Amino acid sequence: MAGKSGVTKAKKHKMTKWDKSQALWGWIFILPTMAGLIILNIWPLIQSVYQTFFRTGDFGKGNVFVGLENYQQLFQDTEVWQALWNTFKYSLIEVPFSIILGLILAVLLNKKIAGRTFYRAVFFLPMVAAPAAVAMVWRWLYNTKFGLINNIFHTNIEWISNPSTAWISIGVIGVWSVLGYNMILFLAGLQEIPYDYYEAAQVDGANGVYEFFKITLPLLSPTVFFVMVTRIIGALQVFDLIYMVMDKSNPALPKTQSIVYLFYQYSFVNHNKGYGSAIALLLVICVLIITAIQMKLQKKWVFYY
Amino acid sequence: MKKQIFAGALAGVMAASLTACGSGSGTTTAGAAGTTTTAGAAGGTTTTAASEIKGSGSSDALEVLIWDTNQQPGIQKILDKFTEETGIKTDLQVKDWNSYWTALEAAATGGSLPDVFWMHSNNSQMYMNNGMLLDLDPYIEKSSTIDLSNYMEQVTQLYTYNGKHYAIPKDYDTIALWYNKTMFDEAGLSYPDETWTWDDVLTAAEKLTKDDGSQYGFSMSSDNNQAGYYNIIYSHGGSVLSEDKTKSEFDSAKTIEAMETVGKLLKYCPDPSVMSETKDDALIESGTVAMCTQGSWMVPAFKQNDYMTANCDVAILPYDKETGVRASICNGLGWAASAKTTRPDDCWKLLEWLGSKDMQEMQAQLGVTMSAYNNTSDTWVNNTDKFNLKPYLQETEAKTGNATNKLVLRPYTYNTSVWEDQMNKDLVTAWADPSKMAETCKQVAADMNSAISKESAKSN
Repeated sequence: MAGKSGVTKAKKHKMTKWDKSQALWGWIFILPTMAGLIILNIWPLIQSVYQTFFRTGDFGKGNVFVGLENYQQLFQDTEVWQALWNTFKYSLIEVPFSIILGLILAVLLNKKIAGRTFYRAVFFLPMVAAPAAVAMVWRWLYNTKFGLINNIFHTNIEWISNPSTAWISIGVIGVWSVLGYNMILFLAGLQEIPYDYYEAAQVDGANGVYEFFKITLPLLSPTVFFVMVTRIIGALQVFDLIYMVMDKSNPALPKTQSIVYLFYQYSFVNHNKGYGSAIALLLVICVLIITAIQMKLQKKWVFYY
Repeated sequence: MKKQIFAGALAGVMAASLTACGSGSGTTTAGAAGTTTTAGAAGGTTTTAASEIKGSGSSDALEVLIWDTNQQPGIQKILDKFTEETGIKTDLQVKDWNSYWTALEAAATGGSLPDVFWMHSNNSQMYMNNGMLLDLDPYIEKSSTIDLSNYMEQVTQLYTYNGKHYAIPKDYDTIALWYNKTMFDEAGLSYPDETWTWDDVLTAAEKLTKDDGSQYGFSMSSDNNQAGYYNIIYSHGGSVLSEDKTKSEFDSAKTIEAMETVGKLLKYCPDPSVMSETKDDALIESGTVAMCTQGSWMVPAFKQNDYMTANCDVAILPYDKETGVRASICNGLGWAASAKTTRPDDCWKLLEWLGSKDMQEMQAQLGVTMSAYNNTSDTWVNNTDKFNLKPYLQETEAKTGNATNKLVLRPYTYNTSVWEDQMNKDLVTAWADPSKMAETCKQVAADMNSAISKESAKSN
């Protein structure tokens, strides 16, 4: 094996029979993934963009070309822009809090404390539970009349049906659900940091806080960056929480429904896939812009060592 | 070792979350569309691949799809008998209301509908117009069992399109008034009966509402149309849709008057936010409200609830004092088969079986639902001795007491759910502030008209 690869290096530009078979097998091995990606992701994406120019017929038949009509409607639709704003509000709660709290938990659970495996498991549990089940449990916790929260604290707060509190309540469920996942990623990142740095710092008399900001945080920044990019994308796609927790007659729904929720409503309930696709495309563009900005800004604060 | 503990803990939680899902689905039920629309059972399934709809059963079994878990045991019994009789195997699958329609649409688009399934007036027009359902006329002509004149006319009419028949009527449902006997006794009031008008309900609701918020007279959430305010509208001589289904009547004088009555009733209901979080059925089950209107499809759930069986009973819907009319919204499901099924003859045998007089009688007797076959529903009344279910049946008679009874088909158009959803959203405003009822009704009408005008482009 080693000898053969040596031969390959020597004749770089001319493919031998063996090289060709290597390349062929390489393609065959990634074929299942490629096929999946093309059939399940790329082709639907193209289809969705294509559909935005149509008033779609029932069961995918009889589409009528309407040009930019869906987009015109989109720009005038206050419901869509409100939903986009709701989505951003949700992300503004979920992303920062789940990252900060996840980081604190990870640092604490990286220390040698008794029962840390148990704690790690406990904090990771929400990630393992089905999102629908999580949402159902929270829905009852938040219930104004029969909910556990109001009953324990003897309050009468409309957690999920008052427009000014509902978006925060939903955000809290979001933070709770992804906290453990962020924590695990941070833990993995923390364990990559060589202990030598800390030892050296301790010799120089650094305290814990100083170590955290001068060693841990900079060396963890690639992980923080990764978590941030994926979490923002994830948060902007929030759907199941809102779908499960908020009922259609909920007075707070207009102020909490997310862009994907609206997409679902139009595409699958109202049978208006063209307009639904236009809404989805709006989200794709938002995600692309935000991610591009993040990629640009990372040079300023992410430290690859 | 540590890893094992970790894995053990995870497995434990997975099991716990599954049970949480199960119990959640049992408690939140909303009968908006004449079914139990259950969120929990959906399991957050937003992926609705056409293949998902196919059951795990053997390939030689006919796939049967329904949406109501309450009816599953009874339907299964009827299907088992069918297999015994004909040797044709069936595979019964249940999906909750919301995922049923998303999955069915995906399956229809992909050309892989289940062999036999339920149809509902909300969506039937779209399926019939696009040739998704098996045209049953050639089979009905030859059949000695099925004669459509034996079934409730309104239900047959729902599944007739351009003169062709696409489903065998399965059942029908009506609405009745549920009340809490214990609360009525405590307040010293006599129980509701056929002499009650909606004004009597108002008076009683006021007396049954306690100032400390521990008990309310009535409950009617803003999305409870079929079992709720539609009945008041039609009793008062109002209407939701014009006769030819091309225009909204929600802004007609009579409809607005009726909705103003609903507005008055809301004073004795829990806060709209409470009703939006906890549905009417859960509010009466928990002893929070003294009265609410519920469809006959809720009986299987209520008869399993200990609080309900101990404290509650059923009365006929009140009538309108001015018009002397007692209107109950009525709807019926149909058994349909896929137009693209590979075994149309077997499908027909099953439809014939399900529509036969014997099986319609069995469906009623088992307490599954009232049956669409004329005069087979009497036994349904006796499916439980916990409640007096006669009121549901009385509404099909011409007259009860001094009032004229009227069965009104649940209003539908080509794309009912579009304007119905919008109506629910609009009415939230009026529920929060009943003084805005009239202007909200006008808004509903405007939105309905705009939605219906877009339909006409599709159905032609």
